Amino acid sequence: MKPIFLLLLFFFALQVNAQDQRTFNPAGMLSLGGRTTVSLFNDHKNEMTGTGVGGQFRLRFSDAVNTDWFFDYITSDILNYAHRTDSHIGWSVLFYPINSFDYFRQTAQFKPKFRPYILAGHCFDYSKIEAKDGTNALDGALYAERWSSAVQAGLGTHLELSPKFDISLTGQYMIHLGNHIETDYDFTSNTLSFHEHKGASLAGHLLVTLSFNYKIARLWGFTKR
Amino acid sequence: MGIHQKIIGLFLIASTLAYGQEKACFFQPSLLRASATIAPTRFYMQETTVALIHGFMEYVLEPKISVRGEANFMAPNGLLLFTNSPEKFPRNYASIYAGFGYHLGKKNWKINLHAEPGMVLAEMAQDPYVNVPSRFKWSACPSYLLKAGTSYYFSKYCHFFAEINFSNGWIRKTPLSSVSLAQYGISAGLGFHLMTKKHHE
Repeated sequence: MKPIFLLLLFFFALQVNAQDQRTFNPAGMLSLGGRTTVSLFNDHKNEMTGTGVGGQFRLRFSDAVNTDWFFDYITSDILNYAHRTDSHIGWSVLFYPINSFDYFRQTAQFKPKFRPYILAGHCFDYSKIEAKDGTNALDGALYAERWSSAVQAGLGTHLELSPKFDISLTGQYMIHLGNHIETDYDFTSNTLSFHEHKGASLAGHLLVTLSFNYKIARLWGFTKR
Repeated sequence: MGIHQKIIGLFLIASTLAYGQEKACFFQPSLLRASATIAPTRFYMQETTVALIHGFMEYVLEPKISVRGEANFMAPNGLLLFTNSPEKFPRNYASIYAGFGYHLGKKNWKINLHAEPGMVLAEMAQDPYVNVPSRFKWSACPSYLLKAGTSYYFSKYCHFFAEINFSNGWIRKTPLSSVSLAQYGISAGLGFHLMTKKHHE
């Protein structure tokens, strides 16, 4: 146990030393932004493309690792007999495989550039499916809802338009882990019914997100002049 | 003094002001600008034109980047050209957006591009042909706004602006098919601004 602890301490000391000699370090950078999301290829039967709005803040931990903390509100149609509302609150880790520091060092005029990333994360999800006509004469309000958890992974890129401002485009697949609500619509009698399936199901959707982010503060670390 | 002399006099004063301030650049970081106007907007999927009361506030963060928030409300009796089908268009409509702007151009004449996610709040009839009067329900609908325009900063506190915008979204809480909010509109007028920080030149 003791050698492992000493080894970890050694690596930690190396890392601190490496960061000490660097003039610029983006760790601790906090960004705030807004986002719009399109939900595609939904697993739910007859569900159509959804559109959403949300917000996020981004906290950078090191040169290569950033994190997104987001909220999304997405609505979609299930043909013309029901509509679905999804609220996502979660986080993603962004890893930059091409990790050049140029723009922090840049002394000449800033040039916009792309910074691609791989992301993976987790979120909590609230879904509600409502009948289009809202009520059923016998049963009252006609809807079903569920809370679930989800994991997501994908690819994206920032377009850095200034040292503090970027536009980010992300494509990620989100898999919901939890109960599954199924809608059944009888087109001959025009009746809608809900069935809830217990246990994990791997229903998911592809989310394409466009976000706008501005760096507002540095929570730790500093820049040597 | 006749009206013609007064108009010529005003033009002379205006041109003197413009000449005197030719070298000053009013568009700089920390500039806060705002305005309100009537914005004719066409909901082309619903074949309906509406007068929206439009207001915005914008803060310039960097020479080319700004953050902006805006809101639109359907003016009372604001349906100018409209469909008579209540299931096709909301009785009340309001939208709010917040996003960023990118500004091109030099000195006081700018070309502005904006992209802003936002929300629409709309009140739709739920059973227009079943019950009289019909029940109405409000719903919150995700939306986005794209905008291009130009602004001319002609004094320390005032500017002219003209913008064209496109936005889209869907009202899902309807008894029939969802209602598209695809629309384009224009807004123009006099805006007001002030510098919130001192710049040393």
